[in-house]
This record gives sequence, structure tokens and C-alpha cells, in this order.
Amino acid sequence: MPDAEVRVTDLTGTMDHYDVRVRSQAFDGKTLLDQHRMVYSALEAARQDGRIHALQLTTEVPHG
Amino acid sequence: MANDPIRAEIEQEVAANPILIYGKGTKEMPRCGFTLETIEFFNRFGYPFEVVDVLENMEKREALAEMTQWPTLPKVFIGGTFYGDTDILGPMDEKGELGAILEAACGPRASRSVFLR
Repeated sequence: MPDAEVRVTDLTGTMDHYDVRVRSQAFDGKTLLDQHRMVYSALEAARQDGRIHALQLTTEVPHG
Repeated sequence: MANDPIRAEIEQEVAANPILIYGKGTKEMPRCGFTLETIEFFNRFGYPFEVVDVLENMEKREALAEMTQWPTLPKVFIGGTFYGDTDILGPMDEKGELGAILEAACGPRASRSVFLR
């Protein structure tokens, strides 16, 4: 997702619970479920090895 | 397939519960912040819902992840359809889409809140 604008907030100060906001044209025409699936698969390695324990996710398509 | 009984169990649970949450811990004792958040989310609507604790059932968690193509817990099913988690349901609620889905799955409630805009 090369055009993605990503904003990440560390929710707990422990560097493993994050609020993540992703804005990308790649989400256009996709359901919210599929948009989130795209982000989760991009982050799979970091979830598997424990760098990310919990994630609160917001996705959006940029407007105009 | 080895996990067929697990899938059958999941399908049965999904069919039997209009609102079903697979999470970590129970409704009385959630063991994950996001599971608690999801329980609180559904408490606001006043429809009955079920929480199935899969924290220590790795086989079932894997089967669920495969069936939904969704890697994380909690996982929410409404009326037999998978809706992800509160990151999906929250925005749906803000857009006013969730009420009708819940009512279709659970039937009308005795007392409904009316939102005016």
C-alpha cells in the first residue's frame, strides 16, 4: 500500500498497544472488513512475533 | 478434515446466537481490554448477546481465523454474518447502519431509543 498515510499512537506507553489510522486510495471500493483485512495482513509479521499485541484500527479513503 | 468438528461447533454457535462474540474471557470476567470494550458496546443496545471464551482454545481460534479471514479477537457475528470487531461496528453505528442489522437479527425490542437529528 505505497500511498498509505499512516498515523500511529502508542496507547499504553508500552510500545505494543497501538491506535493505527490508515488512509489509502487502495481502500476505495472495498468494504470496511476488507480494508481492515488488508492492514492486518500487512502487519502480520509484527503481530506474529509480538511486536504488536493489540491494535485499534481506523481506515479511510482520501477524499478529493 | 481434522478440524471439522470444531467448524461444526462454531457454525452451530453462530446459528444459535443472533449476537455472538468470540473473545478472551467471559461476559462476567473479560480477560482482554478489547473483549471488555465489545461487551460494553453491545450492552448499550439492550439486545441479548452471547460471549464465547476462546482464550485458551488455540484450535478453535485458528479455525475461526480461517473461516472469517480475520486474525484477531474479538470476533463478532450478527444474524449469522461476520462483522469483525468494534473498529468496524463503531463506524457502522455512527453512520446509523447498525440498528437495522441488530433489529433484523434479534427482532424489535420492547423499548426502543429514538434518535432525532
